[in-house]
Amino acid sequence: MVSQFGLNIDLQETFQKNNEIGIIMLIGRNITKSYGEVNVLKEVDITISPGKVTVLIGPSGAGKTTLIRALALLDPPDRGRVEVDSKIYNFPSDNHKIENPPWPHLTVVFQQLFLWPHLTLRDNIVLPLKLNNIKIFDLDKISSLFKMEEYIDRYPNEVSIGQRQRAALARAFMLNPTYILLDEITSALDLEQSHIILNYLILLKEKGIGMLVVTHQIEFARRLIQCEEGDYIAFLGEGGSIIESGGVNLLDNPKTSRLKKFLSEKPISDIT
Amino acid sequence: MGVFDIIVRYREAFLGGLRVTLSLALLTWGVGLLAGILLGALGHRYRFLFGGPLRLFAFFLSGIPFLVLLYWANFPLQVLLNVVIDPFYTAVLILVVLNTVGVAEICRIALDDFPEQYLLSAQVCGLTSRQTIFHIQIPLILRQILPGLLNLQVIMLQMTLFASLISVEELFRVAQRINATIYKPVEIYSALAIFFLLICLPVNGLAIWLKYRFTRNLSEK
Repeated sequence: MVSQFGLNIDLQETFQKNNEIGIIMLIGRNITKSYGEVNVLKEVDITISPGKVTVLIGPSGAGKTTLIRALALLDPPDRGRVEVDSKIYNFPSDNHKIENPPWPHLTVVFQQLFLWPHLTLRDNIVLPLKLNNIKIFDLDKISSLFKMEEYIDRYPNEVSIGQRQRAALARAFMLNPTYILLDEITSALDLEQSHIILNYLILLKEKGIGMLVVTHQIEFARRLIQCEEGDYIAFLGEGGSIIESGGVNLLDNPKTSRLKKFLSEKPISDIT
Repeated sequence: MGVFDIIVRYREAFLGGLRVTLSLALLTWGVGLLAGILLGALGHRYRFLFGGPLRLFAFFLSGIPFLVLLYWANFPLQVLLNVVIDPFYTAVLILVVLNTVGVAEICRIALDDFPEQYLLSAQVCGLTSRQTIFHIQIPLILRQILPGLLNLQVIMLQMTLFASLISVEELFRVAQRINATIYKPVEIYSALAIFFLLICLPVNGLAIWLKYRFTRNLSEK
């Protein structure tokens, strides 16, 4: 049991839960997706392990969000295979409906603000917990961690975008998922809040949660993967395929000219 | 003879007319709302089978004056079908059809335009379809359609007045009859206005209460 940010985290609990399931990994194999004649993703392979972070970087329009939606089975791939632990989803599928869906075991925090507008931020967080019969604990601590105490009882349209972003994150974290897919979650946050989120993501990683993080903040990515085994960065190019992937060294020593160009042109918003 | 003298003196006639008007309105509201919500949901779910025909029907219906529909249903249609239907039920039928289509279109449009992102959020939060419908979709859609639905019901109430033109003994026809007897149009039609106000005020009050109770300005602040 470790205690960080005032939260008691039982590390063994999550690992034990994962081990009971069998295969423990979120895998996307040959993920291919087209919209009309536009091929957005071409045979993308990606892996997210529990307790590990996969960071996805790439230019706008490369298909990063599409990949997240495909992996989360919200917009299933045209072809390919998604494995969420022991659950396997093959595409194309005869059945349009996802049988035995992986949510909220696998959940997503979207780049856009997808909070329900008729509920307060508190209710946005609590409603899924109640409906999933998940014990509500540490809400006050989470609220405190994200500095949400002052506005948690307000409605989404009554708070700033950054505050909504924090509420969306808190909602996902409280669901106690094994995998979280995070789509540019710090895009609306200031440096201080990005730093808090970074620390909290590291804590979640230690808790055993696997994360796919799409970000444009290279320094944020660098700090998140921390050179640990299993963590890796993947660069998704314009053609919708992974051009290069590797550990944190990839950011310092890119092999392909495309990634070199991308990193050199990218303005780095350092988190210091 | 003042307005209230007329109301007191002809109270039985007015109450009879009021009863018929309320019957027309209640049938129109009840059947129209239930059938309309169902048809609207079907129109959203099965766009080709129900949605398209519903839109087409609503389009044509909106182009035909209510009186023409009423007359057509009361005379030529019954001759064509070789049936005789009580004018009250003819009026109910036309009012119900109009209300059903109106309600269905309001519901279908609200469902069609429902922001997909709220459903995605519900999905990834592990909500079932049923939970999503009851906790996310219905509360949000109700907030959106309530004012329009209630306004439509007030309009339907006022349209019951046209039933007098096919000899339905509702309030307006009663007022016309009394006026033919004593010729006091100002007082009689003022009395009629009071009756309609008495029915409309609670409905409008309910609309306002529901609006303040369940709807909230969702725009950015």
